[in-house]
Order: sequence, then C-alpha cells, then structure tokens
Amino acid sequence: MTKGVVLVVDDEAQIRDILGFYLKRAGYQVLTAENGIEGLAVMAKVMPDLILSDLRMPGMAGDEFCRTIKGTPETRDIYFVLVSAMDGTSTKIGGLNLGADDMIAKPFHAQEVMAKVESAFRIIEMQKEIKRQNLELTQFQERMTTELSLAARLQMGLLPSLPGAAPGFRYTHRYLPAEGIGGDIYSILPGADGCLALLIADVSGHGVTAALISAMVKTSFESQVRLGGSPLTWAMGMNRDLARNTLSEQFATAFLARIDPSTGAMQYLVAGHVSPILIARGAQGGLHRPQVLAGHGFMLGIEEDLPFEERAATFGLGDRLILYTDGLVEVEREDRRLLGEEGSFACARNSPAAKRRLRISWWRKPAPSMNRHPSWMTSPW
Amino acid sequence: MLNIQTRQEGNASVVTIQGKVNFEVTAQLRDVIRDTVTTHQPKLMVINLEGVSFIDSSGLGLLVAARNSVDKNNGKLHLCGLPAQVKKTFDQTNLTNYFSIFTTEQDALRGA
Repeated sequence: MTKGVVLVVDDEAQIRDILGFYLKRAGYQVLTAENGIEGLAVMAKVMPDLILSDLRMPGMAGDEFCRTIKGTPETRDIYFVLVSAMDGTSTKIGGLNLGADDMIAKPFHAQEVMAKVESAFRIIEMQKEIKRQNLELTQFQERMTTELSLAARLQMGLLPSLPGAAPGFRYTHRYLPAEGIGGDIYSILPGADGCLALLIADVSGHGVTAALISAMVKTSFESQVRLGGSPLTWAMGMNRDLARNTLSEQFATAFLARIDPSTGAMQYLVAGHVSPILIARGAQGGLHRPQVLAGHGFMLGIEEDLPFEERAATFGLGDRLILYTDGLVEVEREDRRLLGEEGSFACARNSPAAKRRLRISWWRKPAPSMNRHPSWMTSPW
Repeated sequence: MLNIQTRQEGNASVVTIQGKVNFEVTAQLRDVIRDTVTTHQPKLMVINLEGVSFIDSSGLGLLVAARNSVDKNNGKLHLCGLPAQVKKTFDQTNLTNYFSIFTTEQDALRGA
C-alpha cells in the first residue's frame, strides 16, 4: 500500500532520478515523464495524486501542462507543484496564477521537496475526506428527501379518500402541509349505530414527529369511536393515550363530533382547536349567518385527567360544516397581516377554494325522497 | 425576531420574551428555560409575555413543558402580561385554567 501516487515531470533524467529515489524511499509510488505531453500519456493509464513538474521543458512546458491539468474537470483536483529554475516573487506569483497549487524553486534541497510533498498529501487527504463526506451528505439528503416524499404520500393515504360520502353526508378536503408532511389530520367514521364520528386535529410542531403523532391521534380516535360513547369519552381516551405516549411538549388541538343523521343532533367538543363554522343550508343559505361552533377546552395530551366539555348543536339538512386548522388562520396575507379568524371566516363563507392546508367541508345531503337538487351539489368545489 | 432576557429576583427567575413565538424559535427558548431551571432551580419562575405578538401551538407546548420542568423541581410557574391576542389563544385552549396567570410582573412575583 503506497502513501500515494506522484508524477514527476522533468526533461532532466538526473532530477527525475533524485526525486524518484526520495519519493520511493518515503513510500510513494512514482511515475515519470520527460515533458507535459508524455505526462498526459502517463496519466491516461494511472491518475496521480500529485504532480511535480518542471517549468521549462521541450515539447509541452510546465505552464501549458499546468493549464491543461487545471482546465480539465477530471484532473483539476490533482495537486500541482511547479518546480521552477527561476527564483523570485514574480515567477512564484506567475506560477500560482497558472493554477499551480504550490511552487518549488530550483535548485532545491531534496528535504525541502519531501517536506512540501508531505504537506501537500496532508491537504490531499483532507480534500479527499471532505469530498467523501460531501458525497455522503448528498446521498443522505437524497435518501431523506425520498423518504420524506414517501412519508408524505403515506400521510395523504391516511386521509379519507375523495370525493367522500357517508350515508346522508358528503365531504371534501384540501390538505397543503407547509413542509410536505405535517401534523394535521382528520377522520370520518360511520358508527355502528348509524351516527357519524368526525375528527379534525392539529399536532403541535411540524415535520415528521408531528406527522407520526397525527397518525397516532387518528388511530386513537378510531379505537375510541369503536368503543362507543360520545365526543366527551373519546376526548378523554385520546387525551390519556397522547399524554402517556408523547413528550410533554407534544399535544394536539382537536375538534370531535358525533352526528345523528336521522335527527341532525350533533354533539361536539372543542379541544383547543379553532372553532369550526357551520353554515345553515350551505351555499343556498345566503341569508343565514354562519354559526361558529364555539367552545373551549384543553388540548389533547397535556396531562391525564384534564376536564373536557361537550356541547350540542343542530346539523340540519343541507347545512354545511367547515373545519380547518390554525394553518389557515396563520396565513400571512399580502399585506403581511395574519389572515386571522375573521379572515378565515370570510374565506370560508365567500369562497369554496380557500388557500391553505386542511379544510373539510361537509354537507348533509337531502334525503333521497326530496325532489330537488340544490345548486351546491353541482357547483365546482 | 425573538428577544429573550432572564434575570434573578431573589429566589425567583424572571424570563421576559418579546416577539413572535413560533416553531422556528422554540428551540432557542427551550434552551433558555432549561438552562434557567438547571442553574437556579427557581422556587418561582415568572415568564413575562408582555412583548409577545403571536404564539403558536409549539410555543404553547413549550410553556406546558416549562411548567412541567419547574413542577419537577417543586417550583411554581407564573405567567404575566398576556397581550389580548395571546390571551385569546390561551382562552381558546383553556390554558387560562392550566397556568397561574397574573396581570403584572409584580403580581406574578408576589404570587398574589
């Protein structure tokens, strides 16, 4: 195992021999050439780590050889030392301007050359190490990007598929996580009793951790719903799950609801979440004021056994319910002010195409016996 | 831009926060609070939020975590100076009932 490969280019055989002798003794593999052209021919077979080249040579001189090496992408990282018969600052600067990495003045002491070679190899090793680490970083980054986009696709898969329908209901959503993957989640689950269970949640923080916890929130919700009960018992169960299984800074705001399609009775619970908006009679109900489903309660996962409060509302035939996360409230408008709840409210009321993150809109379908098709059923979403 | 200052008032540590508290700055704030708890083991920590223009869910999470870590040292956490916008967020999340909240820093220090 040699310490590295050195190419010595000089038209004087004596100098090639002397340098070759010292370099070999120090453990380097030595290649030799009489001028630049021959040097390039040698390099076509074996690539050196370092070149020690004379300046004045017949054929291709050192300056041209250096320019060629430094001007070729495959060879420009090879450490190039010009050995020049002329001493003096001007030549040194001239040599370095050619792109040479270092200069040695002739006549030289072999020890001086060897010291330069050793120091050059320390630099070469460092460069190699940086290149290796750079490559590793690039590969790592590529892998992470791939995995993140896979995770983002998986997360989209956790959302109910669209266009969504459950007996008596239609729903749709828009999900635009800020960083490809995020902590917002929602779920719609028809219960065995004919009621519909509904969740929207926003896990604190961003990125992969929030996304993982959001999946946990969804699972916890669905297992609570299967146990029966109402939003109050679901929230208590989910709170326990989250408080036990996450760190103290991690929790979720949530809105939970259970709707009975036969009566339109809705039980709901707000756990620190932005209040959903209920628009009576949907797009048709222009005369009705949107109703904010007020309520405040602890976020899920802060501490076990915190109290929650369930409320009641009516979700009538043709009504529309709009759920969103604070991503919508925190949207910066063009004038740099946050959109705010008032703005979100206006957005939800006026335009079906709100701009950010998760928004679920949800209508109660008129019963099939009803003979009319309201305009929203065909309006573009 | 977040500005955090800490000082000692007897046995109490006072942390003053100014600016927008969101995900980008929670790491910085977390370090300050952790260092303060480790160094001074305060019986009372007062966090003054007077200059906070906005707080998001990660900021709230940090305050909850701060309460937990002060609790573990048998200390108390008092918050004070909540601007209207922040107060609204606290009300919405019921954290008003979770934290001991005071109007002024003096009140928070007295614990009255």
